[in-house]
Amino acid sequence: MEQLIQLNDIRKTYTIGGVTIDALAGVSLDIGEKEFVAIMGPSGSGKSTLMHILGCLDSPTSGKYLLKGKDVSSLKTDELAAVRNRDMGFVFQAYNLLPQMTALENVMLPHSYADQRMRAQEVRTRALELLERLGLKERMNNRPVEMSGGEQQRVAIARALMMDPSIILADEPTGNLNSKGAREILDVFKELHNEGKTIIYVTHDDNIGAQAERVIRIRDGLVVADEGD
Amino acid sequence: MDVRDSFKNATRAILAAKMRSFLTMLGIIIGIAAVIVLMAMGEGSKQDILAQIQGSGSGNLYLTPGAQSSILSGGNAGTRAAGAKITMDDIKAIEAKVTYPIVVSPANTMGITIKRGNTTMAGSGVFATETYFEVNNIALAGGRFLLPSDVSNRTRNVVIGANVGSTLFPDVSPIGQLIRINGMSFKVVGVAVSKGQSLLGNSDNTVILPLTVGEKSFGMQHDRISMTTIKCVNPDDSEEIVSQITGILERKHREVDFSILDQKALTTLFSSVMNIFTTFLAAIGAVSLLVGGIGIMNIMLVSVTERTREIGIRKALGAKERDILSQFLIESSLLSGAGGIIGVVSSVAVAYLIIERFIPVYITTSSILLAVGFSIAVGIFFGVYPARKAARLVPVEALRYE
Repeated sequence: MEQLIQLNDIRKTYTIGGVTIDALAGVSLDIGEKEFVAIMGPSGSGKSTLMHILGCLDSPTSGKYLLKGKDVSSLKTDELAAVRNRDMGFVFQAYNLLPQMTALENVMLPHSYADQRMRAQEVRTRALELLERLGLKERMNNRPVEMSGGEQQRVAIARALMMDPSIILADEPTGNLNSKGAREILDVFKELHNEGKTIIYVTHDDNIGAQAERVIRIRDGLVVADEGD
Repeated sequence: MDVRDSFKNATRAILAAKMRSFLTMLGIIIGIAAVIVLMAMGEGSKQDILAQIQGSGSGNLYLTPGAQSSILSGGNAGTRAAGAKITMDDIKAIEAKVTYPIVVSPANTMGITIKRGNTTMAGSGVFATETYFEVNNIALAGGRFLLPSDVSNRTRNVVIGANVGSTLFPDVSPIGQLIRINGMSFKVVGVAVSKGQSLLGNSDNTVILPLTVGEKSFGMQHDRISMTTIKCVNPDDSEEIVSQITGILERKHREVDFSILDQKALTTLFSSVMNIFTTFLAAIGAVSLLVGGIGIMNIMLVSVTERTREIGIRKALGAKERDILSQFLIESSLLSGAGGIIGVVSSVAVAYLIIERFIPVYITTSSILLAVGFSIAVGIFFGVYPARKAARLVPVEALRYE
C-alpha cells in the first residue's frame, strides 16, 4: 500500500513555566491511503498533539513528516494553510461552526480560502449536495444554535468534505454526543471510508475506537500499540 | 476570499455588536465633524473678510500721504510725516500720465454730527468728487449722485448712506429734504443702497459731500487729499499702475512720501493669514479624529481577542495570514469609513442649521474629501496592529482558546 502519511521520530516539546514537557517523545508511524484509523490514549497522552501535527495545525519540534511523499514539516505558515484547505477535512469535538453563519454558509466557508476557485453557483450546489447527503437539507438556513449537537457535527462533516480532501481528521468527534448521535457520526465515517477517504480519529472511548480497522495507542508521547484488524 | 465575501463578513461582524460598533464610530463621527465644521468656520470667515475687502471695490489701489500705509485706519493715521501731502495737482498728474484705464477718487474724511429736527446722529463725512461712487461700487436707492458741478460750485448737496436715511427720515423720502451737518444746512440729493459693515468701516453711516465743501466750511487744510482711491479698470494691470503712479509722484515730490496699497496684495495677505487660521482649526479637529482612531484600535483588539477561536477555525479551514489580515482591516476601515460618512452628513447639518446663525461657514469639497480620506486612513492605520495580531495567531493555540 502506498504511504499517505509517514512520520519519522516526531517530537513535540512544550516549555511551560521553565518546565519542559515532551508531548510527543519520538513517534514514527505510517498511514496508508484509504485507511480507517483510531488514535487512542488517556488524556495527556499526546494523542491530540499528534492529531494537530497530522493536520498541519501545529509543527513538530523535530522529526520529519512526509505527506504524499512531500516534506511538510518545513513548510511556511501560508503553505501549511493551503495544505489544510486542500488535503485535510477537520471534525472537532466542539463542532467549531461559526455561530454567525448558517449551516450552508459554514459548509461553503473552506472554499473562500481555496486557491482553485469554483463559480459561486457550483459552490452553492456542492454545499447543498453535501448537506442533503448528511440529511440536513432542510437545515441549510439554520444557525448552529438552532441545531442539535448531532446535527451540528454533521454540518461540520459536510464542511470537512467541501474541498474533497483525501484525509478526514476528527478529534473526539463523538465526545459531546449521546450514543445515538455518536453512532450516526461513525456510520458517516464508515461510508466515507468505503468511498476511499482516509479517516483518522482520536478517541479515549474503547467502544468508539473499536469501530476502526486500525487502532494506534499512545501513552506518554509514545506509540505503545499499533494493531490492525 | 473574494472582496464581496469579505465585505459581507465585515458588515455581519459590525452588525453583530451594534451598540459597540456605534460607540466606536462615534469617536470617528465626532472627529470628522470637528475637522469639517472647524474648517468650514475658518473658510467661512476667510470668504467673509475677502468679500468685505472686495466689496469696497475690486482691483482698487489706495494712495495715502506718508511713507507708511494708513489704509486700515481710514487714511487718518497720525503716523504720517508732517510735511507729506497729496494735492489736487498730484491727482491731475496721475489722471493725465497713467497709460492704463483708471478712475481716480480723491477724498477726505472727518467725523460729523448730522441733525434733522430733533434727531441727531454721529456719522462720518466723506468729502469726495463724482468719481467716488463708481470707484467704491456705490449704488443709489433713490435720487442722484454728486455731479462735477456740485464739486466745482461748492454746492451744499449731499448723498447719504442707507442708515443715515432711515434714521433721519423714518417716514418720508429724504430726497430734496434739508439736513444739518455740524450746524450747516445741506440738501439731500441721493440715498445710497446699504453695503453693511466692511473692513474700511460702515459706509451706511456716511454722508458724501463735495470735496470742495470740506475746505470752505469744515476747516480742512487747503489742497490736501488724505485718501485717494484708484480703480484699475482691468485689475490685472494693478502692478503696472502702481509702478507708474510711484514714478509720477516720486518725480514730483523728489522723495517717496506717500504709499500705495494694492487691494490685490491685501487680499493675498488676508487669504494667507486666514489659511493659517483654518489649518490651525483643522489641526485641532484632527486631534479628536486621532482619539477616535485609538478607539477603533482598542475595539478591534477586543474583537480579535473575542474571536480568537473563530480565527483558529478559519485558519484550520485554510485561511492564510493575508485572509485574516484583510478581514480585520476591512472591518476597521468599514467602521471608520462609515463613521466618516455619518460625520460628513452631521457636520453639514450642524454647520448650516446651527453654526451659520452665529458665524459664517463655508464647506469646501476638499475638506469633505480630506475628512473621509483621513477617516479611512485612520481605520487602516489603527486597524493594522490588531489585524496583524489576529493574522499571526498559531492555529492550534487559537482553536484551544475558550
